[in-house]
Amino acid sequence: MSTLTELDLATTSITTLVSDCEELIRDTSMPSVRTWKERTGGIAIGFMPTYIPRELLHAQGVLPVGIMGAGDIEIIRGDAYYQSYICHIPRSTVELGLNGSLDCLDGMVFPAICDVIRNLSGMWKMMFADKLVHYLDLPQDFSAEIGGTFYRHDLELLSQKLVDAGARPLEAEALRASIRAYNENSRAVRALYDLRRREPWRVPTAELYVALRAGLVLPVESHTALLERFSALVQAQTDRVPVDQARVILTGSFCEQPPLGLIKTLERSGCYIVDDDFVQVSRWFRGDISETGDPLDALVGAFLNDAPACPTRYIDDGEKGRELVDRVGACGAEGVLFCAPSFCDPALLDQPMDTAAVTRAGIPWTAFKYSEDTGQFQVIREQAGTFADSIKLWSGT
Amino acid sequence: MSEHDKLAIGIDVGSASIKVALIRDTQADVELLVGRSERTRRREATDVVASLVETLLSEAGLTREDLAYVATTGEGEIVDFRTGHFYGMTTHARGARFLDSEADACVDIGALHTRAILMDERAKVLGYRMTSQCASGSGQFLENISRYLGVTMAEIGPISLQADEPERCSSICAVLAETDVINMVSRGISTANILKGIHLSMAGRYVKLLKAAGATRVVLVTGGLAADVGLMAAMRETLAEADDPLEVRSHEHSVLAGAIGAAIWGAFRARKMERLGISLAPGALSEART
Repeated sequence: MSTLTELDLATTSITTLVSDCEELIRDTSMPSVRTWKERTGGIAIGFMPTYIPRELLHAQGVLPVGIMGAGDIEIIRGDAYYQSYICHIPRSTVELGLNGSLDCLDGMVFPAICDVIRNLSGMWKMMFADKLVHYLDLPQDFSAEIGGTFYRHDLELLSQKLVDAGARPLEAEALRASIRAYNENSRAVRALYDLRRREPWRVPTAELYVALRAGLVLPVESHTALLERFSALVQAQTDRVPVDQARVILTGSFCEQPPLGLIKTLERSGCYIVDDDFVQVSRWFRGDISETGDPLDALVGAFLNDAPACPTRYIDDGEKGRELVDRVGACGAEGVLFCAPSFCDPALLDQPMDTAAVTRAGIPWTAFKYSEDTGQFQVIREQAGTFADSIKLWSGT
Repeated sequence: MSEHDKLAIGIDVGSASIKVALIRDTQADVELLVGRSERTRRREATDVVASLVETLLSEAGLTREDLAYVATTGEGEIVDFRTGHFYGMTTHARGARFLDSEADACVDIGALHTRAILMDERAKVLGYRMTSQCASGSGQFLENISRYLGVTMAEIGPISLQADEPERCSSICAVLAETDVINMVSRGISTANILKGIHLSMAGRYVKLLKAAGATRVVLVTGGLAADVGLMAAMRETLAEADDPLEVRSHEHSVLAGAIGAAIWGAFRARKMERLGISLAPGALSEART
């Protein structure tokens, strides 16, 4: 690759492009962000999973930077902040903050995911008092009058904080342009998910995943170009042929991301992953955000009405699992892998309702847990492999 | 051959050897046409696979185009011309059931791991237990010991049967067991008694695995060590001492059980895909499933 800031999109090799994306993800010092700041003079704001309105930041000249853990880096100071029964992502985020990896960020936004991340936002305020820290209190009431008003106020508050941190003031036309840029990006992502659903052997999930993750540290325009190049390259691979594998949906990995080795292991164990919830910020809306009317209202409306069922959003008890069952049907999946981080409250508390729903629908499933620094995959390989066998041999008999 | 018959090949890629089996599935019956096992030694596993497959097909007067399914198991992901892959538990259970229709459990003794598998009459896996990380009790461990003692793998069984005072060794740790063996040699213990002691230690471990998996009636030993008459005798003695009715059997094709099981499941899967209208031709798979 040319540099870590500008991927070589002229490459004719999918291997090169994927390996460049992997390097971009692996380098926790985020050289692409540093270079972007030097080039543009803009500010960069980090954000945690699962969703923040990146369009708003983009419209104010801010680079939104997704922080999804630190993989398998050694945690030295991060462990001192959390008990052993807390998931891994807050410790690795603290580690990145304290070891200077995130120095290039001018602030952090912590969306409402769970109590742990909420607490992390408080700790961040104490650790980095000179930087912008915003807890994005996403509404759990989805009516326009209550949740909509609340959320719009929260977005205005965030916008003002960005101005205080050095960003330009929010203007309606700029926000409309940003919505257009992110709509374009979302369409590119959805097109790749559609392609993988149709021809999963062409688009290995491990490759698609790193292409999505690269978007967390790149400007949206660059990322859209990357996805278009990625799509062209995978479709040109004539040596990729279908193998008799089980088609599965993977769910539960919306916050702390699994190690890349785990995704590769699942695919090698005989599963075609035809849908997942990795890097959910890039597919948070089912369709486009409206590009007409008041753009802030458009952001609010999309959040209230067009977001997927996710354990971080309130869903009535009777409704839990219904969307998952629908997704299984829509993508022709034959089973569900419940793949959640250890100690992830939102994922693991919803899992009993979700498994009950798929069981009622007669869909085979299996469940296992991981941590972002999991290094041994043999047990999961056996489990996923025998699950794939059972689907191929016993389902429908 | 009827037009409804399915020919399938099973390729079991193990850490020490590669086993290949070619079967004909007539729906009413399954016939093992030809099978072969070959040690990988220092060659590329993919080369050994290619050579074995071509040899078997040539012996049977067939070509790859005649095959309805190329099924792999073990480390079979390295085989790029596979139709599909099945896991060791799934294939050994099916292979064991094919070789001995009365078996309701099998114990797959591989070079690095051992698994006890419980299955039903359709060869569906009902439960299993597996050895942990340590290589003690595995085929590789026994091979190392045979090397220390200067005997071949083929000689181990008959020599072990000659033991009169077997010396037991550690069944938990391969390193401790190897140290035990060195001590026994220096103490002048006969090779037969050392080997029998090792067989008894391994047998004790396998019986525990089988009982934990829930085996109660007939167990078929699969993998290369099924041909070790000393080990088989030690397993039977261990069960007899415990007054356990579990019956341990072996078969001349036990070493091929994984490959046979893979081939049978491959043919089964080929029929199922045909019934469901699933084709692996580019573009066709997604059309049928979505």
